[in-house]
Amino acid sequence: MTPRTLHRRSRTREVLTRLAAYLAILVALILTLFPIYWIAANSFKFDIDIFAVPPEWLPRNPTLKHYDEAFIQRPFLRYALNSFLVAVGTTTVSVVFGTMAGYALARFNYPWQWRKQISFWILSTRMMPPIVSIIPLYLFFNYFDMLNTKSALVIAYTAFNLPFATWMMKSYFQDLPVELEEAAVVDGDTRWGAFLHVALPLARPGLAATAIFCLIISWNEFLLSLIITLTEQSQTLPIGIAGRVTQYNTYWGEISAAGFMACVPIVIFAFIVQKHLVRGLSLGAVKG
Amino acid sequence: MLKSANDGTLTAQSPPGGPLERWAERHLRYLMLAPTVLILLALTIFPSLYMFYAAVHKISPNPDLPWEFVGPGNFARLLSDAQFHVALRNTVVFTVVAVAVEFLLGLGLALLLDKFIRRLTFLKTVLMIPMMLPPIAVAITWKLIYEPQFGVLNEIMYRLGLPLQAWAGDVNLAMFSIIVADVWQWTPFIFLLMLAGLASLPVEPYEAAALDGASSWRQFWDLTLPFLKPVIAIALLLRVMDALRLFDLVFILTGGGPADRTKVLSLYIYQVAYRFADPGYAAAISLFVLFVTIILSTWFMKRMRLAD
Repeated sequence: MTPRTLHRRSRTREVLTRLAAYLAILVALILTLFPIYWIAANSFKFDIDIFAVPPEWLPRNPTLKHYDEAFIQRPFLRYALNSFLVAVGTTTVSVVFGTMAGYALARFNYPWQWRKQISFWILSTRMMPPIVSIIPLYLFFNYFDMLNTKSALVIAYTAFNLPFATWMMKSYFQDLPVELEEAAVVDGDTRWGAFLHVALPLARPGLAATAIFCLIISWNEFLLSLIITLTEQSQTLPIGIAGRVTQYNTYWGEISAAGFMACVPIVIFAFIVQKHLVRGLSLGAVKG
Repeated sequence: MLKSANDGTLTAQSPPGGPLERWAERHLRYLMLAPTVLILLALTIFPSLYMFYAAVHKISPNPDLPWEFVGPGNFARLLSDAQFHVALRNTVVFTVVAVAVEFLLGLGLALLLDKFIRRLTFLKTVLMIPMMLPPIAVAITWKLIYEPQFGVLNEIMYRLGLPLQAWAGDVNLAMFSIIVADVWQWTPFIFLLMLAGLASLPVEPYEAAALDGASSWRQFWDLTLPFLKPVIAIALLLRVMDALRLFDLVFILTGGGPADRTKVLSLYIYQVAYRFADPGYAAAISLFVLFVTIILSTWFMKRMRLAD
């Protein structure tokens, strides 16, 4: 084989790889976006158009009827508010305590390898499937008359948001140079002051990302809410949606409208934290 | 990971403030950690112990009736309960197949697209949207797509001249349908982590390998894969743990049916606890699941030295 043909071969190969890559991106984009588009499109159709065969690819006769049904006539606004309040409560508790614990695990030494052992144990609590805690949680909240309250949801959600926040913040603090805090202490600040005035401001982007991830995790949660909540006083958005899928009827328009609305804030959040996605989704284990 | 962990000795130069503040400053490392440790102890260890207590009792749905001690009875039932065995098998099948498909697809896409997509943050984020969405919204979206009468999938089958299917309602396709929806949602996760892994690869070994005339296949096996190993391990650990807790998709798409083909452990525990009103036995199954996940995740995390 002459060098010339070799060269030509590798160029054809490069062009083919490029083509395959662009094709793959195109297909991936279509597969990713179509289901989201489809639920949005159906939320704007009249029932008769939802059931149309062949399907109506574009809503020919768009309507806000199902948004009115869900959010005005039925209590989906209330569900969304509950979801929001519970998410904010959980996030506040998790980020405040998780930041302190994450900082301590990143900076301090402990006797008997506690640093390692405690980090490991906190991570392992995150691995616990929520289903295994529903029985004790149910009995516990029942005993204290807390079933069907938003505080019960905040407590239950904290169980898996707090380990997450701790590990995220630990990984952010480990990336910060310790020298700045040392300098602050030499200048007469206390150790706590160095955390508050030096480390915390530097960790602000990480703090924001951690908070947003906590909001998303709580907003999306379904199983625990299904166990703990009973009425619209505390039911969250996913429960409201699932409640309209009954044995006898599925209210397609309503659940499409509510489901699409449940996705909108998440998509916005995803773009806000796009730089932190890798770290957030791997609990700080992989730094993107 | 952290080389210069501060052991707090810097504060020895007696900080300002009263005795209480000084005491707090001296024990800061414990005080900052305490709330999290206490909250997590209360929310994990206590429920686990309580669950063990519940598992050795027969609990009546009537809260006024006392719990009846049955010893290991509930655990013995695990051995003979055919439904439990079905749920266990379904969970294993789902976890293995879904995670394997997600992993191969995600890794393949990352290898193919790494060079082209590295700087396209916006496009990457768009591709990541599915895994961020509420699982319930994903479930109703796919329910709409799978709908036998007016769903999109059957329209496509019809146009291709293929037989129409009941998808999630079909005995043989139900598990497949659940897996497809899960693959849709979670392949981006593997893809994202693999891209992050590829972006952190060192350049020199590849230059050396290219000089030695190593084929790209050899480079993949001897360089890329070993370098990616830690990221792969984390991605698989998180995916397996998530797949084991599958609930939302099944709850909406199939309810565990048809003919128990998609009944997974989470759903079965839920049914035993609420529909069959037998919390004692549900606690026994939960303990089994907890035991398995603790063993699996501990083994994984220890091997990866994740806690360092």
